[in-house]
Amino acid sequence: MSKLAVHDLAVRYGKLTALAEVSFTVAEGERVFISGPNGAGKSSLLSALAGAVRAAHGRIEMDGDILSGLGPEAIARRGLSMVPEGRRIFAGLTVQENLMVGTGMRRDRGAVADDLETVFNAFPILRERARAPAGALSGGQQQMLAISRALMTNPKVILVDEPSLGLAPKVVDEVYDRLTDLQTLRGLTMIIVEQSSARAARVGGRMLLMRSGRIVADGDATGFAARDLLTEAYFGAPT
Amino acid sequence: MSLQLFFDALALGGIYAIAALGIALIFGVMKLVNFAHGQFIACAVFALILPSTDAMAVLGLGRLPALVLVPVMLAFGAGLALLAEALVFRPMRNASPVALMVGSFALGVALQNLLLVLYGGRPKAVSLWAELGHPVQVGPAEVPLLQLIVIAAVLAILLGLAVMLRRTRIGLEMRAAAEDFAMARMLGVRANRVISGAFALSGGLAAVVALVLVAQTGVADVRMGGQIMLVAFIATVVGGMGSLSGAVAAGLGIGAVSALLQAGLPAEARPFRDAFLYGGVILVLLFRPQGLFASAGSKPRV
Amino acid sequence: MNMVSQHRIRRRMAATTPLLLALLLLGFVLAISLTGDRALARMAAETLIRVTLVVGFWIFVGNSGVVSFGHAAFACLGAYVSAWTTLKPAMKATLLPGLPDLLANAEWSVLPAAVAGGLLAAVVALLTGAAILRLSGIAASIATFAFLAMVNTIWANWTGVTGGTSSVVGLARYVSPWVALGWAVVTLLVAALYGASASGLALRATREDEVAASASGIDRYRHRLLSYTLSAFFCGVGGALMGHFIGVINPDGFYLGLTFLMLAMLVVGGIGSLSGAVVGVLALSIAVEALVRMEKGVTLGATTFALPPGSQEIIIAVAMILVLIFRPAGLMAGREIMLPARWVAGRHSTKN
Repeated sequence: MSKLAVHDLAVRYGKLTALAEVSFTVAEGERVFISGPNGAGKSSLLSALAGAVRAAHGRIEMDGDILSGLGPEAIARRGLSMVPEGRRIFAGLTVQENLMVGTGMRRDRGAVADDLETVFNAFPILRERARAPAGALSGGQQQMLAISRALMTNPKVILVDEPSLGLAPKVVDEVYDRLTDLQTLRGLTMIIVEQSSARAARVGGRMLLMRSGRIVADGDATGFAARDLLTEAYFGAPT
Repeated sequence: MSLQLFFDALALGGIYAIAALGIALIFGVMKLVNFAHGQFIACAVFALILPSTDAMAVLGLGRLPALVLVPVMLAFGAGLALLAEALVFRPMRNASPVALMVGSFALGVALQNLLLVLYGGRPKAVSLWAELGHPVQVGPAEVPLLQLIVIAAVLAILLGLAVMLRRTRIGLEMRAAAEDFAMARMLGVRANRVISGAFALSGGLAAVVALVLVAQTGVADVRMGGQIMLVAFIATVVGGMGSLSGAVAAGLGIGAVSALLQAGLPAEARPFRDAFLYGGVILVLLFRPQGLFASAGSKPRV
Repeated sequence: MNMVSQHRIRRRMAATTPLLLALLLLGFVLAISLTGDRALARMAAETLIRVTLVVGFWIFVGNSGVVSFGHAAFACLGAYVSAWTTLKPAMKATLLPGLPDLLANAEWSVLPAAVAGGLLAAVVALLTGAAILRLSGIAASIATFAFLAMVNTIWANWTGVTGGTSSVVGLARYVSPWVALGWAVVTLLVAALYGASASGLALRATREDEVAASASGIDRYRHRLLSYTLSAFFCGVGGALMGHFIGVINPDGFYLGLTFLMLAMLVVGGIGSLSGAVVGVLALSIAVEALVRMEKGVTLGATTFALPPGSQEIIIAVAMILVLIFRPAGLMAGREIMLPARWVAGRHSTKN
């Protein structure tokens, strides 16, 4: 059984169709990139998965559990966590407080403490600045905090929306290194919206290309970069 | 400044701060300006007496010994607020802030008129804890014991609230939700729990204000809610919408200024004290529209 | 059909709104005057005065999206100015000794008095709006509440000039249903004109999306101030009409009760459109009339049922909350009453 299964998912904002009947499955432990031009529906897809927006219709299943129609808290409690676009860290809370916000639903204190250690080991800067207000961190550090915060909810599936947005290339490298390390360490299933398909190809994984609310291609990320499918998705088929 | 005036300002400011907190708590968490808050206070006041239209009120709940009365009143306040949340605000959860505000105004009107129907429009004399009016010698000043108790209670409440917000899980969740409600939900924070928590707290604080008002003034009047609510709102706006420390600081400030004006203004101008206060506030806002301590989430992200 | 003629047709359709609303009100008054019932005539006049008040209110709230709790204060100003300028000097000398000589000796006719009331309200709006309207929507609303309380406190205590909490009596009761209709129609037309004007459109743009509007160079503050001032003028006139309808005024009549009623009418009818404001006034006026009669007592057979006083407001408040929950856009849902396209299309119908 696949980890995550999406059937005919559609998202509409009023009369505007952001996502038009999208279907795909994701296996456990897989790393899936979602790429495509602006307005393709990538963020809407992630938002619908996380329960942040209500789908117009369609079904989302995780490990056989139906997620569609649930509110974001319920979905997070079932093991799907989102690192949203723009980080959205709680600037007025300290770094450590940010990390602890998502741990309320976890019963096992020991496991929470272990996860905190894991996160601090992966991103030492967070341990250094644990008591500082999160708003004082740099963009890259905030991204690391946002990812760690999602990890603290002990997810099975993690969604990351545009992790490289507004960050310098070297910082993005570091973020992706840690992200992939953590994925292997925790056996996570990851879906990442990455504007730069070249970057996705470098990191490696499966890629779903989206355009105008639909998935137009599904295959290995490195393979795509080499083929015309990428330019086609962005600019349309050559006439 | 005389010591007497100092205590007056502190006691008045303290109560305004508590009233403002009640509003700031709910606004912070759900962007709702609860215009019914003043009526929560008024309902708590009238909960102390038996329903009748007489001018001399007969204590109902008010008869209970203080040690029992206070928790009972806190429970009443919290309960009333939770009921309002469940019946009026939860169904409107996704409405615009403007609609929520207008809805709370309507709720306030409904509550005030309910009190009118049950108790009549005449102000009633209520004797609650009259013994506390006894003056106590503090240095050169004679201060009513009640005032000292109010000041102590306010400090205890502020301290307790600060500890709750910074040290407990629900406090953490409320602070996170106040900054970014949607994000907090995506981390598993239960929206209903946080909102109910804020309402229950707000209702409890309303009950505290009610007890103090009745003990201090000895009067129960259906109009009481409106008067204190106005000051509380202004304190919230001046302090910066959604900022708890701002609301407290502004409440204390307005109390201090109010007490000073009361003492300093010539006798003919005294009835206009409130008008000066409101006018002064509008002036403050002219120079600093976002309030004194604008919270982090007050401007929309562009 | 090309875009230009489509646009022209839509403009014509929009222009029919104030005319249709005026006809609706005219029909209302005609129907009631035909019955010859005096109580109904009073209700009609009161309803039409409310149209002036609420449509004036709508000019600001409907276009800016900012709820003002202070417009009853403008009505208060208008009413008292009209009283000050029309009451006989002998009366003013006894009731209002504090009035400056200019006002104490004034004895104007009613129309300039009403206009003067509106003008003072407009001036006060301009001055206070300059401060209040710089605030963000919610904070501005709270500030308008402070403004209402400020005016009420001053009015209740400035006994020499306003009579304080005791009523000022003896206002000339000239407001018949037709007079009220006249002002209501004027208010309607101005409201429609403003709504279609560049300023009105710009203001509504800021209501929809603040960031986009400011990126387009719209100065939200100026447009808010204009609509606030215009709105205050008509509320001032409405207040004067109210005063001269009842013949007696006091500050409490222009405080929370009136504020609530005006807001309820806007919410029930729908804040988003001019037709909503008018429909709201009509619907709630009828409801209030029915409730007032039930509070007085309804005799069924041998027994009299009477609602306790205060229940009227409770019922209206509950109705308001229900509307906000289930139909937040109100009865008209933001739509305007207008003639359908093919009636106004004329020569531009099927060609092209």
